Amino acid sequence: MTTIQTTELDRYHRQMLLPGIGEEGQRKLMNAKVFVCGCGALGTVIANMLARAGVGHLVIADRDFIEMTNLQRQILFDESDVENALPKAEAARRKIAQINSQVKVTTFIDDVNHTNVEKMAADCDIILDGLDNFETRFLLNDVAVKHRIPYVYGGSVGTTGMTYAILPHSHPDDANETPWELAGAATPCLRCIFEQAPPPGMNPTCDTAGVLGPVVSIVANYQCVEAIKILTGNYSAVRPTLLSFDVWENTIRQLKVARAYDVGNCLCCKQRQFEFLEGKFASGTTTLCGRNAVQLTQKLAEGRKLDFDEIAQRLAAHGQVKANKFMLRADITDNGNAYELTLFTDGRAIVKGTKEANVAKSIYAKYVGA
Amino acid sequence: MIYFDNAATSFPKPPVVSQAMAKFLAEDAANPGRAGHRMAVAAERMLDEVRLKLTRLFQGDDPHRMIFAMNCTDALNMAIKGVLGDAIAAARADTPHVITTVLEHNSVSRPLQAMADAKAIELTRIDCDDAGFIDPDDIRKAITPHTRLIVMTHSSNVLGTVQDAAAVGAIAREREVLFCLDTAQTAGIVPVSIPGMYIDLLAFPGHKSLLGPTGTGGLYVGERCGEPGRLRPWREGGTGGDSSSPTQPALYPYYLEGGTPNTVGIAGLGAGVDYVVANDMAATLAHEQAMVQHIIDRFSADDRFTVYGTPDAKRRVGTVSINIEGYEPSDVGSILDDSFNIAVRPGLHCAPYIHKRLGTFPSGAVRISPGVFNTEDELAQLCEALEQIAG
Repeated sequence: MTTIQTTELDRYHRQMLLPGIGEEGQRKLMNAKVFVCGCGALGTVIANMLARAGVGHLVIADRDFIEMTNLQRQILFDESDVENALPKAEAARRKIAQINSQVKVTTFIDDVNHTNVEKMAADCDIILDGLDNFETRFLLNDVAVKHRIPYVYGGSVGTTGMTYAILPHSHPDDANETPWELAGAATPCLRCIFEQAPPPGMNPTCDTAGVLGPVVSIVANYQCVEAIKILTGNYSAVRPTLLSFDVWENTIRQLKVARAYDVGNCLCCKQRQFEFLEGKFASGTTTLCGRNAVQLTQKLAEGRKLDFDEIAQRLAAHGQVKANKFMLRADITDNGNAYELTLFTDGRAIVKGTKEANVAKSIYAKYVGA
Repeated sequence: MIYFDNAATSFPKPPVVSQAMAKFLAEDAANPGRAGHRMAVAAERMLDEVRLKLTRLFQGDDPHRMIFAMNCTDALNMAIKGVLGDAIAAARADTPHVITTVLEHNSVSRPLQAMADAKAIELTRIDCDDAGFIDPDDIRKAITPHTRLIVMTHSSNVLGTVQDAAAVGAIAREREVLFCLDTAQTAGIVPVSIPGMYIDLLAFPGHKSLLGPTGTGGLYVGERCGEPGRLRPWREGGTGGDSSSPTQPALYPYYLEGGTPNTVGIAGLGAGVDYVVANDMAATLAHEQAMVQHIIDRFSADDRFTVYGTPDAKRRVGTVSINIEGYEPSDVGSILDDSFNIAVRPGLHCAPYIHKRLGTFPSGAVRISPGVFNTEDELAQLCEALEQIAG
């Protein structure tokens, strides 16, 4: 634990006035290491708030580069970042250095997948979800349960948002209980609630359905609230429900989920099968020879097929879409670059217009959803 | 899965192959060595038996010159870099000249092109005719006083067209040039004769028509390549004998076989060779050619399809490449896999020069390669699927 000088605490005076935090809580924040997985709309708000709150060390992972259409909601970035074509993680690091030079930032400009996520999350006190796809969320859930790291899920599309804090249950074989279990605050994991990730193409994405800037900020700030509670040891204050809302329809729902752990036999947190971390559902990528194209193999659950009609409808706004019973082909212009996306019924795809696996994955996540 | 990708790796294997591997792994899988304990000697003996089988299959006369390799690429590198290694090491006044063809796989094209780019060799690439054949006379005309090596594939892995290796070999022999034949597509299905085709370096894979497992292959080093020392070993290391020698022992096959060989795989390869020899290679070839002829006859005249190479399947091994109008080859491959459970190979097939020649670069074509175990019913399903896709 690094020694913190009293003068370093001054800037957090207003935060330390809060009875739940105080100087002790502030010191905990300043000694904390936080994994912000994904640095888009959610991730920039999270990184911004947590850097200002004085979290000692932020680990930020994102594979994407900043585009003009990001600026509507991704608050750490500006037009000069677009001009300089900066990776999101790097631009965030530079911005945070200006906001709070006390914060150490480690960046990973890479796709987060089962081969590297444990390295990224190593020694972190909490994982915050700034993702755009379910496959990676289930991966984070596996890491959280396996290594007993709290994980705050957040998601937003259109005018809706959803967030939920996972304080993982220990396994009977674990030597000791976690502080949140001692406080009686453990919660079901993501797979207790959603057994499977939805198949690709079944859910709207921000790139197909749009997203309202403020709603993402609301979700991310809720995530930060829970993160600050957890990092300062206020486990019993953590909201135990799955919160969802629609800021356009003016609805707010809180789903009580605690029983999901008790009654279920969750593959992840009860049976300790970390299928996503083992790469069982991992999408593979292959650069197709000579074609400036990348093939993605997405493993759908047995017997599942993509619904071309629904996907065609959603992609129609982005360019020409043609489909027959074997394949769907869509022309997509993303950040000024032209791509041709070909989907097959088993979820595999060919993204033409790039040789970069990460770019192809990004296009798939944005326009098909994973 | 209906498997039509035998030109890449044959599948399925006869059960004797996996049985031989399981037995060897369970009972004899020690490190081979000529002067070791009894299990080491047994492993060495198995290697020698398979060396002998392979040497006989290709009508060689010295099993010690049968070198095991990881695959045909490994064998070709061993041959090409073995012959031309001194040219890479030193700038020479008389840069050696090498002749190859547009039909080659990258396992030949890439090492040669890299040497040419480094100005270690001069390279001539002979064109083929529209049907996919090399005229041996074109090779004769390309030979110069500096020509040291001719490297040619016995059969195009894209078109399946079988080349007149004997004619090219005869020219090489007459002009005192070394002849290296890549039999990736023919070993185990087309008769290959080391003396009959004047082959100096014969490279072959174990995992295609010889029905062995992946990770096996070999190079036969003919007498004209000389004693060890004339070729440069491209892998150096432990040889299980002659350990006192500070460099590779001057004794074939060990000279070129540094490192523990894939004994388990070679045990399987031996069983594959036995199976191939016992099961009438000519009948197997005729079976595969008949399937290819059916595809050519059915789709050649159809405007929606393009079928590449000679219309006469008797001049091919069991390989044919096609395209369907309006589809990328990779789309056809994905649809066959996804909607019809059929495996084929789309793309460039690691042979960019022939695809440039055919006008199919860079997307390539859809390669269909039947094997010994494909049935008439499977062929019918494939043809029906192609019809449905073409719409």
